[in-house]
Amino acid sequence: MAGTKEASYKYLRTIEYLYELFSLLFTAFRNLHFLKISPVRAVFFRQIYFAGIETFGKMVVIGMLIGIVIITQIINLVGLGSAVLTGKILIWVVVRELGPLLAAIIIIARSVTAISAELGAMNVENEIENIEMMGIDPNRYLIMPRFFALTLSAVMLTFYFELAAIFGGITVTSIFWAVPFEQYAKGMLSSLSITELSVSLIKSLLFGMVIAAVSCSQGLKVKKSITQIPQAITRATIQSLFLVFIFDGIITFIFFV
Amino acid sequence: MIKLECASLKGFLECASFSVSDGNICAVLAETDFEKNLLLRVLTGLTGLDSGKVFIFGREISSITYAELGEVRKKMGVVLNRGGLVSNLKVWENLMLPLAYHASLSYKDMEEKMMDVLNNLGYNDDLNMLPGPLPTYKKKLLGLARAILMEPDLLIYDSVFDGLSSDIRNRVLEAVNAFHEEKKGRVSLFLASSEGSIKGIMAERVYVLKKGNFHERN
Repeated sequence: MAGTKEASYKYLRTIEYLYELFSLLFTAFRNLHFLKISPVRAVFFRQIYFAGIETFGKMVVIGMLIGIVIITQIINLVGLGSAVLTGKILIWVVVRELGPLLAAIIIIARSVTAISAELGAMNVENEIENIEMMGIDPNRYLIMPRFFALTLSAVMLTFYFELAAIFGGITVTSIFWAVPFEQYAKGMLSSLSITELSVSLIKSLLFGMVIAAVSCSQGLKVKKSITQIPQAITRATIQSLFLVFIFDGIITFIFFV
Repeated sequence: MIKLECASLKGFLECASFSVSDGNICAVLAETDFEKNLLLRVLTGLTGLDSGKVFIFGREISSITYAELGEVRKKMGVVLNRGGLVSNLKVWENLMLPLAYHASLSYKDMEEKMMDVLNNLGYNDDLNMLPGPLPTYKKKLLGLARAILMEPDLLIYDSVFDGLSSDIRNRVLEAVNAFHEEKKGRVSLFLASSEGSIKGIMAERVYVLKKGNFHERN
């Protein structure tokens, strides 16, 4: 009996949390027009710089390395006989799955921790209440710009990651297996369809929104003690990863099963 | 301008009432910092009452929407004990934050206005640094400058004179009085938890918050 009660309590908590994330997302969209206010825009661009531009270099390097590793394994598995097949596998693995997923993981490692820690510290220091006292809505000034900046960064970084992975794959094939770069690139890009691109875009958009909502929500949950900050960071990281994998599975199932 | 009507909050206020009329300078002396902070939260709408009403600019703040409360807060300034600056914004960004958020002034106008207020307060430090390393009295000066920049009709000072040297205290007092006189009908409310914090202010009324109620001191 006690076990059933506990389980239903857990379900209720999960539903409540998902509702909380959804309302945060809804509030962010409703407040989008406040981006025209200069301090809000400044927060947006600062977040783009931190989450998008500063991560760009690392994302490209990791993307290229992943591309090289994947193409090497594919060639080991199926040989060089069919450039179209190897290309297709690379495109499928990178664009359909690994691109959005690995980009999301890198963003979680870098930006989720930063955002939840920053908002948590602001809460502990009463800075969020001080902002409210000035008649500034924290949802408009702190949450909305972070939400959209992180979502936009996730889409852009996924795109660059995939580009770098494909480029890495093609380059290593043409260098080590003496396949002409142009011929291989052409074969590979011919297997890139609208479905792959839309799935990648949908995934990166959704992952970005989920990551942003979770990190902001966990940051805001920190109340009065500095010891709650690392706990919030851990929760934000784990929950972001968990939700990203769940949504990845759902989208893959919808499009490819 | 400010009116508390039979305000009750468990363990803090018991059907407490007080009011401050337009143009007045008033002080409320609480017994502890906790009570003073709670009163500030009630007056700014951050903490709701169990029963009773709080009127600011004639509006009952518990019965208005969050957006309307934002409009009320826009017309009131709060100078916090430790400045209340945002730690990840540079000093100038902190000063301009409410102004840039609410007012539609050009950057140049805002900058001119900011420099005028800072000069009046005698603040001439680097504006490009983060506020973290600044001493508390400088943060307090910046908090005062930020509030003054918004030209509010009601300014609440939270233990603003605590920990200031006599020289700086006189400078702040002068600025506070000048700001109060600048606009007819402006209200200044000083919240403090010790007698020393309100020493020297020209308060028309001083209330003592004791045992959950406000008692006017003669």
